Amino acid sequence: MSTSHTTASHAKKGEIFCQDESRVDWHSKALWALREKRDRAAGSLPEWEQLRQLGSELKLHTLTHLGQYLEEFEQNCQANGIQVHWAKDGVEHNQIVHKILAEKQVKKLVKSKSMLTEECHLNPYLESHGIEVIDTDLGERIIQLAKQPPSHIVVPAIHLKKEEVGDLFHDKLGTDAGASDPLYLTRAARAHLREQFLSADAAMTGVNMAIANKGAVVVCTNEGNADMGANLPKLQLHSMGIDKVVPDLDSAAVLLRTLARNATGQPVTTYSSFYRGPQADGEMHVIIVDNGRTKMLQDKILAEALKCIRCGGCLNTCPVYRRSGGYSYNYTIPGPIGIAVGSQHDATNSMPWACTLCGSCTHVCPTKVPLDKIIHHHRRLKAQAGQLPYGKSTYMPLVGNFMASETMLNCSMSVARTALRILPGALLKPFSGAWGKYRELPVAPNSSFEAWFNKNRGQ
Amino acid sequence: MSSKQSILQALKTVAVEPQAMPNIDVSPRLDDVIGQFETNLATVAGTLHRRAGLEGLQAKVDELIAQGLQVISTVDGIKGNRAVPDTAHELKDIDYAVIPGDLAVAENGAIWVNNQNLGHRVTPFICENLFLVVEADKVVANMHQAIKKIGLDAGEFGVFIAGPSKTADIEQALVVGAHGACSLNVYLV
Repeated sequence: MSTSHTTASHAKKGEIFCQDESRVDWHSKALWALREKRDRAAGSLPEWEQLRQLGSELKLHTLTHLGQYLEEFEQNCQANGIQVHWAKDGVEHNQIVHKILAEKQVKKLVKSKSMLTEECHLNPYLESHGIEVIDTDLGERIIQLAKQPPSHIVVPAIHLKKEEVGDLFHDKLGTDAGASDPLYLTRAARAHLREQFLSADAAMTGVNMAIANKGAVVVCTNEGNADMGANLPKLQLHSMGIDKVVPDLDSAAVLLRTLARNATGQPVTTYSSFYRGPQADGEMHVIIVDNGRTKMLQDKILAEALKCIRCGGCLNTCPVYRRSGGYSYNYTIPGPIGIAVGSQHDATNSMPWACTLCGSCTHVCPTKVPLDKIIHHHRRLKAQAGQLPYGKSTYMPLVGNFMASETMLNCSMSVARTALRILPGALLKPFSGAWGKYRELPVAPNSSFEAWFNKNRGQ
Repeated sequence: MSSKQSILQALKTVAVEPQAMPNIDVSPRLDDVIGQFETNLATVAGTLHRRAGLEGLQAKVDELIAQGLQVISTVDGIKGNRAVPDTAHELKDIDYAVIPGDLAVAENGAIWVNNQNLGHRVTPFICENLFLVVEADKVVANMHQAIKKIGLDAGEFGVFIAGPSKTADIEQALVVGAHGACSLNVYLV
């Protein structure tokens, strides 16, 4: 496990990220720019809401017939000369991958982006078995060289400034000292990675969609790294979660229309590649992974998280993610979707509270994953399991009793209004706790809403 | 129990009620599909040549060859200076590849390319620059229409290509030319 997944609460890690205020602003703005591009792309299609509804329904249909579609997918893959493997968890996935590579004496593997292999911690496993793993997506290569995990699922190096990338490339790839022009750095990475593609023994990619009735996998990239990898060496591997399967090509078309638009505002990714068999004299393997997904399907609310197509739109819009960074979450996937699929792995039990329940994520999701509802549900699950963080199990029942009593609430609110009017702020602010750290206390109204209502609208 | 069996067993008790497959019926935008295609191709950093035709393309290819550049063509009627090599790796010094596209998509500027027309599958990715040739009456409105017409037989590979390769992984600055082709010119014929 990477160092950023050490256990500290989301609030604690967020505080570390927030120490550099100008960097937080920069991070937040970069992500908001993606959200704005997404809005323009979505707004340009009159049928946008229809596509979201179709995406949601076809994913839910597939998830509720998943066994049937996975078997159909496997049979059709085999008919196309694709070898299919099943892994119940990350450990088994890694063992299968290693076995395939070891049989072919693979020394160097080029890999395109796959959040699943991050989830399974594949790279360190293969490296411990003497296989060199080269991440080939530019952002992924940057963080691999920096020995960091991704901080975003689509733009994994969003937390780094170009000067930092420049220093890293100077150190690792021999670019000019002090050079930070993105074009220059990207060209240097292109030259460096071309050598890797041409000398690789095998390639691995994630899967965006798996087409059941064709036995094909779809891989989307902008850089072309997945295809440069998969089409040079004679051995190609594709890892997919069980949730990636869709019934047919028509379903894939719906998701391809929303995926890139919702991720970066592009009308489609540069390459949407359909692999329905290996190249001539080549070998193609697909590894289907569960790793906790069937368990999520046993919970009616959590199940809907598996409709996700990993566009990253919910991260870009999330006010908490944008201002706490990808490393503040105790899971490989950060942001709202990370909370939805990763809270059960969070030993600090703080992830479900890294959310204001504003619902912006749900509003932008291209497959209508009810993220705020799922996050709220995680809070309930933590409470039921006796795992409430921050002493919530002690004070929340008291707050509950207090707020349920009309007399107590009315009396104390009246005291609070008076106090806000007559006492100096410096005296009151300590009572507001963390809330008051970056905020001023409110101006007290003259009376309660109830009194105002009775006077103006009451009988 | 094998992992496959245990996964399939666990899937027998999904908590959500079975949902019906929706009927996918989305109205296409049919006005000026070629104009839409041109606009969207430009959005994804590609360039459309509407009227140059195969003659114009061959003239361009001849010009590149005269400059000493390596050009491979799998389009009937366009002659490059390189033949399809035995191995994919030998394509590493190709400057320009000229490839036929089966159809083009107006809504996003994408072009479907099937491996039967590629020589090696890696050709459109490994070349420094790419020319795609598409027949003008093969431009469809959207992905729903396109997906019904693509050729992808058992064992095959195919790809929608929308523009040259690109990345914005360094500070969100768009750089055209990541790992695949650095430029894309599309000729309508």
